[in-house]
Amino acid sequence: MSSMTRVVTARLGDFVDSFIPPALAADPNRRSLARLFLISHLLGPFLGNTVPLSLLLVSPHPGYDIAVLAASITGFWLFPIALRLGVRYELLTGLSIQNLMFCILWACYFNGGVTSPTLPWVLTIPLLAFFYIGSMERMRTIVLALFAVNIVGFAAIYGLVPPPSNGIPLEHIQILGMISTCAASLYTIMMAVYYARALASQSEIEAEMRSHLVTADNLQRAAADAERASIAKSEFLAKMSHELRTPLNAVIGYSQMLLEEAADMDEDDHVDDYRRILASGEHLLRLVNNVLDLSKLEAGRVEFHKEPISVRRTVDEVVRSLKTLAKANGNTVDVRVDAGAEVMIGDGMMIQRALSNIVENAVKFTRNGTVEIACRRSTGDDGDVVDFEVTDDGPGIPANELPHLFEQFSVADDLTSAKYGGTGVGLALVHRLCSLMGGSVMVDTEVGRGSTFTIRLPLGVAAAPEETPQIATTRGDAARVIGGETNDPKMAVAVNG
Amino acid sequence: MARILIVEDNELNRDMLSRRLQRHGFETVIAVDGPAGVAMALSEMPDVILMDVALGEMDGWEATTLIKGDPKTRHIPIITLTAHALSSDREKSIAVGCADFDTKPVDIERLLGKIRACLPAS
Repeated sequence: MSSMTRVVTARLGDFVDSFIPPALAADPNRRSLARLFLISHLLGPFLGNTVPLSLLLVSPHPGYDIAVLAASITGFWLFPIALRLGVRYELLTGLSIQNLMFCILWACYFNGGVTSPTLPWVLTIPLLAFFYIGSMERMRTIVLALFAVNIVGFAAIYGLVPPPSNGIPLEHIQILGMISTCAASLYTIMMAVYYARALASQSEIEAEMRSHLVTADNLQRAAADAERASIAKSEFLAKMSHELRTPLNAVIGYSQMLLEEAADMDEDDHVDDYRRILASGEHLLRLVNNVLDLSKLEAGRVEFHKEPISVRRTVDEVVRSLKTLAKANGNTVDVRVDAGAEVMIGDGMMIQRALSNIVENAVKFTRNGTVEIACRRSTGDDGDVVDFEVTDDGPGIPANELPHLFEQFSVADDLTSAKYGGTGVGLALVHRLCSLMGGSVMVDTEVGRGSTFTIRLPLGVAAAPEETPQIATTRGDAARVIGGETNDPKMAVAVNG
Repeated sequence: MARILIVEDNELNRDMLSRRLQRHGFETVIAVDGPAGVAMALSEMPDVILMDVALGEMDGWEATTLIKGDPKTRHIPIITLTAHALSSDREKSIAVGCADFDTKPVDIERLLGKIRACLPAS
């Protein structure tokens, strides 16, 4: 039953909406006013025509007045069509209210004046006017003026030209009054119910909007909380990593010292043990450094310093820091730096950190093999670049692991993780460092054959190779290459200029 | 024999560094904090100073600035030792007048190279 009501209501709604021109439909406020206007005009003539119909039945000699009344009431059906055809809404509401007043006063004139059974319909005028015009100030004044003019006009005409007697007997007048009042009430109730429903759906929309606002507010707060938690985490990791380094420095330093002393005294049986302590210490240090770097990157505390650097020295420094690990796995590391890729502009420390993670993976996963580091210059879409190609003949990476290779905290799989270890920080760090430096990292790999990782960075040297600065040494504190970088600010000027 | 002043607040680092440098034929003197480092630069007149930067109240940068500000000690080459840092303290080292800088843990061969580069050729 109720589902049928819903279907009828929905059909009626669609039918009503089909009369609303697009210009009105665009404004939700005016659209709801237009809906009330249309509902009233589509259903009104059904109820309104009960009056001329009753008059026809009870009148002993029906006249032209009944025909005019019926025509005027039926004329309300023209208004939706006019609206659809683009006649202005304001004009139509004015005309409609005028027509309504005419119908009511016309019926009153011919059927007893102020005692007419059709008088209760006057009450529908302000109600309908309110439904149609809503908060349109100007229309309110016009409707009020119309109302006054009509009432005064009616009173004047009624006084000057008395209406002809309709000759309806009193008991029939009473029946007519009942029917007319019922129809007017029914009409008013119908419009009020529709209006109440429109209001309810509007407040539903408002309530939903409010709940959306609350949700958005909560989300914003949750995002802020997460941000704060993330910063706290990064700061904790940075502090922790720093604290871990102090004892690590001692472990590495003393084991290096013992190793040197044992080697000097030919205590071969101790050398291997010392080397294991040293390798473990260096391994731990690399892990700590990665966590420290990543947390600094996440906290946005890393600046990118550009200056001329020696590619060869940068790569040598990386190889030097990994020689213990490479040796332990029986790997040899070859370095080749092509002419034209010897000097670049970049952040030496950052390049070293990125390259170091790639080379570390290569010497870690490869056993008794060769790792080749080739640096060459090539011309890409955005100018000259330096490719740091690290090729190993290790196990390679399965294709299904590639999509997540550079994601944080991703290790190949449980098996790899069990065999080789790994925290999933290294390659994520490489990826972030390369992006920060305006470069990229790529991988070409085949299971059983090996992998080639390529770090591609902007060369940064716009000038021709012959303008490459010479690393000059005047006095003790002049230009000197430090771990792959030079500390002479004059050189940066020379290359940039 | 070249004399090296080590300014370092961590006891283990101090001990390890001085023993390793002695093994390579250097004479070492030790300062445990910034003010002591500044005072010993003047009293000991070392050939090279190894300056840790994280030193507590008076840090290595401040001590270096003071040493470089004194006409009697400003000629002494200073190598700063910093913790691992992505954005290196290289620029800061240059700004305060250091000859060079290195990161900890030190690689002895690399550090020796830097120390020798600071010494007058003989």
